Amino acid sequence: MSETKSTIQTESNPDRPVSTTTGETEEEVRSEWREYAFDGEPKLSVENLDVYYGDDHALRDVSIDIPEESVTALIGPSGCGKSTFLRCLNRMNDRIKSARVDGSVEVDGEEIYQDGTNLVELRKRVGMVFQNPNPFPKSIRDNVSYGPRKHGDIDTGVLAGLLGRSNEEREAELVERSLKQAALWDEVDDRLDDNAMGLSGGQQQRLCIARCLAVDPEVILMDEPASALDPIATAKIEDLIDELAQEYTVVIVTHNMQQAARISDQTAVFLTGGNLVEYGETDQVFENPESQRVEDYITGKFG
Amino acid sequence: MSRVTESALIREETSTLEAIAGVAIGLCALLFALAMAALFEVVTVTDSVAGLPMSNVLGGLLAVVGVVVVGFGAASYRGLVPTEPRASAGAVAATAFSAIWFVVGGLVASQTLGVGLAGGLLGGGLLGGIAFAVTAIPREDVGSTLPAGALALLAGGALLTGVIGPGWSWTPFDLNATFFPPIVVPAVVMFCSLLGGWAAAKAYGGFGARGRHLGAYLLVYLNALAIVAVLVGLVAFVVFKGAPGVFEGVTVAAGAGPSTTVSAFGFSHTVVWPVSWPFLTNGAALMNDVDGVLPAIVGTVWLVVGSVLFAVPLGVGAAVFLSEYAEQGRFTQVVEIATNGLWSTPSIVFGLFGYAFLLPRFGGEKSLLSGMLTLGFMLLPLVVITSREAMLSVPDEYRDASAALGVSKWQTIRSVVLPAALPGVVTGVILGVGRIAGETAPILLTMAGGTFVPGSQTVDVIGGFQFTASPPFVANPALLEATSALPYQVYALVTAGVGGSQLNDPEAFAWGTTLVLLAVVLSFYAVGIVTRYYFRRKLHQ
Repeated sequence: MSETKSTIQTESNPDRPVSTTTGETEEEVRSEWREYAFDGEPKLSVENLDVYYGDDHALRDVSIDIPEESVTALIGPSGCGKSTFLRCLNRMNDRIKSARVDGSVEVDGEEIYQDGTNLVELRKRVGMVFQNPNPFPKSIRDNVSYGPRKHGDIDTGVLAGLLGRSNEEREAELVERSLKQAALWDEVDDRLDDNAMGLSGGQQQRLCIARCLAVDPEVILMDEPASALDPIATAKIEDLIDELAQEYTVVIVTHNMQQAARISDQTAVFLTGGNLVEYGETDQVFENPESQRVEDYITGKFG
Repeated sequence: MSRVTESALIREETSTLEAIAGVAIGLCALLFALAMAALFEVVTVTDSVAGLPMSNVLGGLLAVVGVVVVGFGAASYRGLVPTEPRASAGAVAATAFSAIWFVVGGLVASQTLGVGLAGGLLGGGLLGGIAFAVTAIPREDVGSTLPAGALALLAGGALLTGVIGPGWSWTPFDLNATFFPPIVVPAVVMFCSLLGGWAAAKAYGGFGARGRHLGAYLLVYLNALAIVAVLVGLVAFVVFKGAPGVFEGVTVAAGAGPSTTVSAFGFSHTVVWPVSWPFLTNGAALMNDVDGVLPAIVGTVWLVVGSVLFAVPLGVGAAVFLSEYAEQGRFTQVVEIATNGLWSTPSIVFGLFGYAFLLPRFGGEKSLLSGMLTLGFMLLPLVVITSREAMLSVPDEYRDASAALGVSKWQTIRSVVLPAALPGVVTGVILGVGRIAGETAPILLTMAGGTFVPGSQTVDVIGGFQFTASPPFVANPALLEATSALPYQVYALVTAGVGGSQLNDPEAFAWGTTLVLLAVVLSFYAVGIVTRYYFRRKLHQ
């Protein structure tokens, strides 16, 4: 994935607009801003993104470009807005009534916050994996083929069968491919018709990843996908993310800084109050952070 | 006597005294069961057992329990048995015992001694005060055994000496009610055995935390058993009363039963059933050997099927709207209150509504269709309430996961939310069917025709469909006919005494109808429970 990557320009930008509601600490934080640049078009481009939950200002003026076919980690203490940011990228925040989003998010140069955005198409292209494994109470096969079936890509219904249009073979292929991609095939290939609720937590989470892959997304958003899992299951998920980055653009929220350091190509650090404090190549952020507060956070002085 | 009591982590041997406390618990359970049996007239209190009147036997056992309980308390107080009592039995027990003894003292003073109301209050207050003091002030081992044991002793003595015996009766105050031993003795025995059992269980556990746990456990357990016993007793009562009527004239022999002819493609085959069950296959007519309830059974089944078909789609649809689409706010609150209110509306109100509103619109006559719709209206709120609860309890994670895959809201509801909510919906329908199948008042006003319908007038809904030349092209006269139903038939026969003269044995017929009604409702239950089990299995396996 290094073809798309490039030099890191660091540049202090004290003139960056500062929201009027913020206090001193924020200006101090802002002064540490630096840009991260890379060759090629960004897959996701976010500009001046603000999110409010009612009166609560959850994200403040976030701008960030995310390159394709790479892993981007979002780290920061609880309540810093990293999950909120993630949910903006496929407009899952629309599902929260009190949420209001200002600013611009572009996927492949297309603005997704505008009238007429096709949410179905957007979420097919930008898939999501949640913190707690949430397979449907259906069979493993039905879980994986759920998305394509609902989109009409696969039809195995009675009517389709009668009309000779049933594509059970395509379904079988798709299920096998998705489960193999999610490194789950070998564990479940003999019990695809069993209920997914009978799988272990780690298997359920990989099934959720397979379910997400089955609709053939370009970007995969992961919200702390391993935080509910034991170390062995976590290691499997991490290996899987590494694999996925060959083909997909992965954005992952994590609380675990070692995990971020292990798996990501670039890291964005959010600190309290919904500010993006630092964004850059992972090694750079972890070894030589610009901001004192980021260094304190990474070295465990707070957070 | 010191306050220091022996305490140990592990106490292996069971002392003789503990064994005696265990026996007392067993005696109390036995007494409780006997009292239940006596209430249901399985055992007769006034009969004698082994030459002794039943009430004497019960009294003797109660007295034994009383002696054991008090004795155990005294032994524990003297330190003869290792227990861990607390300093007091507590305010709750003291209040309860003082209330019980207040009633006992008041009744004894005013009724038995005849000193009037003031004297009764005085006696009650005196005994209640003593009971409070005895429970609250001494150590727990005395406080919780003495009041309970003394009560058991008192009641046992009264029964044993025949103060309350077979010939006894009591007309309290100026009420127009007289209490006779078949009710009073079991009630007294049941109450005293509960109290005595509680005290004995506490004693068995050595008082303290473990004793309190065992005491509470015994009370809760016996209460649960009593509920089961009431249910079983009720069903058994109906079965015993109804069986003679239902099984009258049943013959099992080759070719004994009615014949069914199946014909298709020019071939026809006639099956002669090997069972003849006239009560279920006949109507009521002059020439019948055995009158039956077939028209009423069919009427009830169609009634339930019709109202479920009407109410379930509407109710589930409304629930989908309320839980998935409508903004949770003032409007949904109003709808919720309205549905709850509708569910609590008395059935006669629904019946009157059907009578005044539906009947004129369906030809002015009572009809099966009006009955179905009226009961459908009754069923609707319960289906809405339970379906809504079931859908709200489907985790939002499923909805999020589905939305994140780019699946539209309606498809998510159809393929994720509804299947997950189905067991809850089915539960609601089961409950509702249990209620409407037994409703009498709405049927009386909207549907019921003759009480004893000949078999030839059994409503034939499926065969009643006809195609017509003018819109709506389908007609079903059977739906617009008045018909009979099981609960209405029971009501008419037992309460109103309609048409009893044409039956050989009206009482057996009424009880038989009741048994069939119970069986029909229970079969709807069974179908519902199997359905729910099926959907639940599908969700988890």
